[in-house]
Amino acid sequence: MTQVIVNGLYLGAQYALIALGLTLIFALMNVLNFAHGQMYVFGGFITYTVYGQLHLPFVVALACSGVTLAIIGALFERFLFRTVIRRSVRDESTMLLAAGTAFFLDAVILLLFGEKQRGVPKIVNGVLNVDWLIIPYDKIIVGVIALVLIASFMAYMQFSRPGRAMRALAQDRVAAQLMGVNVDRYSMIGFALGAMLAGVVGGLLVAITGVNSGIGGPISIKAFLMVMIGGAGVVGGAIAGGFILGMLESVGLSVLHAYGDVTYLVIFAALMVFLSIRPNGLMGKPWG
Amino acid sequence: MIRKYSAVQSALIGASLLGLMATGAQAANTELKIGFVGVTSGPAAAWGTSNVRSMQTLAAQWNEAGGVKIGDRTYDIKIVTFDDQKDPKRAIAGMEKMAQEGIHYVVGPNVDDGAAAVRPVAEAKGIIYFPYAFPKALYTKPAANAVLGMVANYQSGPAIYKYLHDKRNVKTIAFVAANESDPLSQRDGGVAAANALGLQVVADKDTYQNDTRDFTPVLTPIVKLKPDLLVLSGVSPANAPLLIRAARELGYQGLLSTETAQDAKVLEEGAGELANGFISVGGASTPEIRSKAMDDFIARYTKMFGEYNDESNTKVYALQYIIDTLKANPKAIDDIAEYKKTIDGFSAPNPYVKGDKMLHYVGTTSFGQKRQLAVPLVVTEYKNGKFETLFVADVD
Amino acid sequence: MGLTMTSTASKVSALALFLVVAFVLVPWLIAVSGRSDLYYTLTSVALLSIASAGVWLTFFIGRINIGQGAYALLGGYVSAILVTAGGVSFWLSLPLAGLLCAGISVLIGLPILRLRGVYFAMVTLVLTEVARLAALAVPLTNGAKGITDIPPPGAIRLFGLTLLPDFATLANPRQAFYFVTVALMVLVFAGVYRLVHSRIGQLCLSLQQNEELASSIGVNVAALRIIAYAISSFLGGIGGAMFVAIAQSIYPSSFAVADSVNFMLNCFLGGLGYVMGPLVGTFVLYFGWDFLFRTGEFQLLIYSMVLIALMLVLPNGILSLFAPRRKES
Repeated sequence: MTQVIVNGLYLGAQYALIALGLTLIFALMNVLNFAHGQMYVFGGFITYTVYGQLHLPFVVALACSGVTLAIIGALFERFLFRTVIRRSVRDESTMLLAAGTAFFLDAVILLLFGEKQRGVPKIVNGVLNVDWLIIPYDKIIVGVIALVLIASFMAYMQFSRPGRAMRALAQDRVAAQLMGVNVDRYSMIGFALGAMLAGVVGGLLVAITGVNSGIGGPISIKAFLMVMIGGAGVVGGAIAGGFILGMLESVGLSVLHAYGDVTYLVIFAALMVFLSIRPNGLMGKPWG
Repeated sequence: MIRKYSAVQSALIGASLLGLMATGAQAANTELKIGFVGVTSGPAAAWGTSNVRSMQTLAAQWNEAGGVKIGDRTYDIKIVTFDDQKDPKRAIAGMEKMAQEGIHYVVGPNVDDGAAAVRPVAEAKGIIYFPYAFPKALYTKPAANAVLGMVANYQSGPAIYKYLHDKRNVKTIAFVAANESDPLSQRDGGVAAANALGLQVVADKDTYQNDTRDFTPVLTPIVKLKPDLLVLSGVSPANAPLLIRAARELGYQGLLSTETAQDAKVLEEGAGELANGFISVGGASTPEIRSKAMDDFIARYTKMFGEYNDESNTKVYALQYIIDTLKANPKAIDDIAEYKKTIDGFSAPNPYVKGDKMLHYVGTTSFGQKRQLAVPLVVTEYKNGKFETLFVADVD
Repeated sequence: MGLTMTSTASKVSALALFLVVAFVLVPWLIAVSGRSDLYYTLTSVALLSIASAGVWLTFFIGRINIGQGAYALLGGYVSAILVTAGGVSFWLSLPLAGLLCAGISVLIGLPILRLRGVYFAMVTLVLTEVARLAALAVPLTNGAKGITDIPPPGAIRLFGLTLLPDFATLANPRQAFYFVTVALMVLVFAGVYRLVHSRIGQLCLSLQQNEELASSIGVNVAALRIIAYAISSFLGGIGGAMFVAIAQSIYPSSFAVADSVNFMLNCFLGGLGYVMGPLVGTFVLYFGWDFLFRTGEFQLLIYSMVLIALMLVLPNGILSLFAPRRKES
């Protein structure tokens, strides 16, 4: 059972990190970023190229992933989302734009990096094997890095000046503007930060799961789920959602092992029931 | 390789091609179009892409050598591709497009639902198609236009399990599959084959979502059962290394196998030495059995696309069969009834393997009619970045 | 009064023009150009736009619906099972599929329609996946192996009069499917148009703008939502059933998450403020992809760039180009 719980915790840390960037962008701009998974994949391929092909240190590769995606995110916000938000009658119209950018990144990734699953050499070899738990060392390291990243992100949002500005923006856009927050600037920073998070997670997880050009869409959808479970637009919610989904999968797959065919059916049906009971997730703000 | 035409241009090209075909070629070779309908984008892109590229490589090779002589005419082969995005509704549109282009021979689709959905079009429009999908109904009468392009899992599975049972003393077997049509059908076939052999099936219900990235939770309960053989039914090349790695890191000691084709490079990058001993099915891949022609093909493919894909070893065959069958009966070029007549007696040397293997159509045992390409069933074992031949068998 | 009369007249003439184009001009053009593959493409557009019209209707009550794929799949399976196992005529199974979808959507809608915004969107997205997994698991559907070899639609005879011939005997069943689906599409859009401009439509519009306010002035919000969602699902169901008749097969993957997302995108692209939005959106998205077929590996790249550009230029949908300018908020 310990094994199952540790599996769930690791998966949860991984998921929570993926969900963070998505929920940030949502909180700031009410944009459901369909391209989040594609950004994750893009980051993964950059790390693959820098670390796996050019043999530079892993940290450098992660930095490259982060910076590239931050730039892409900033450009997307400045030239695409800002225009559309300003000109559209209904907020949701950005969904089509987001889907368009997702297709675009999908196409670019496929053309640049090919259709094959890619992987890099392990960052650390070996497996921790005690009688109640088996876990590879590299997973421990990645799990810890994930937790550190989550903590430092939260600290940044809590204490830094841009962080405070972004929180104000998320709470009330108009009020923040009246208080002298430069809305355009911080929207751009927020979008860049969200994209950067996606890129860094993608890069980080290349070391464990590799990367594959087609996985973007499904990753986005998984991230949506976590955000919904926790509550949209709330950082704590995304983290909680990630851990809950990770645990749900790990425990569900073990408990329902004998009925394997229906495991995911049960998990997803349970999710629907949960959301019906708590229409704003665990701690989300209503939005409608 | 860049095909970027404006609508007007393509209309003009299309019209002039039709004109050419009608009046007969003058100086240049006539163009013979062969179609491809399959998935070249999204999560399953690897399947279709290796397919398309095999065809394009082969066509480029032939065209450069002056074209293909069928009857008393020489043709340049042109591959027309359609990305169905793994959507059966799109696949139908793709098949309609092929018919519109005057194409009678189409490779694909890559999955069960697409292959079933295009059947009405193919039969109405006179197209022979070569799916990489295993449902028997596609190839059994009254269906007549589909020819299975590879070895089916219900043919390779029993051979592999029997070999492992005899040689490696495998007694217990477990299955894990993605919760999608193709892998689940293949799992059910595998379970039936294992039962028939008298193997003890210890797990046959575990499934995963195809977008899973961490397989530890799925495999934890299975590894605990310590089966002698764990079969990754219908596993996609992207997931295979992740599953292998997760199983091994959980301390799994037994054998791992699958009945689909895999890529050595992907396994090496994704699982490293943990993938050693992984058993899968290849075409004419391994150095021990492949011929000079196969070497040339691989070199050409690598030159054109930067990197070879071992899945192409099984996918080189469809186009070769089409052209060789047309050579055997030139009338079939625009008459599939002639093609079907030729199927039964057709035989030509297999250029891709050493020795005197022949290309011919099989499938009587499985489908009651010859609706399958005889592709050598090469069972391989992965070792340090390469596939090694475990054994070679024939279907039928 | 005079104004409404002229606008009614112009609407009737627009409809007449559309009918002439769809039933006379298009078949003639296809016959002249020999592009018979267009029949299937246009049939697809018609069917997908029927399902998208349902999604549009849920947009109309202020809900983002990414679950239409579930009802299309359900409708497809209902028709397939009725036809193959029950021996029911396809033409009877078509409305039955729609009705069953509507019935089930009431059950599902009761709890989930209380959700709003992205929450409703996500729960419907999950619904699509649940439908796929259920199709794999439920014995009735033949699981992973799908249902294949479904016979084409038979004849409809009334008092010895053949209203519709047996599709199996037709020389060109594609053309017949085209006529039937376009007729169906015209009916659906006329119906939706009528609904939107009825009293119920006005009430729905009030939901879209402010549910609390609508509720406070005595609108039965819950009932209205359920009605709209049930109609929406009905349309998804018949769209799916019709597709199954064309493909003569159905698999759990026949309608997937990607389809649900596309139905929604069709509405956005056409324009959420226009009844004809889903029709235009579907046409452009589907034909756009088909049209770029020649570009090979660059198909997706060009397609997505065009999509982004369209969104930048016309963020309120293509139809906002022709409609009088709305007030920008």
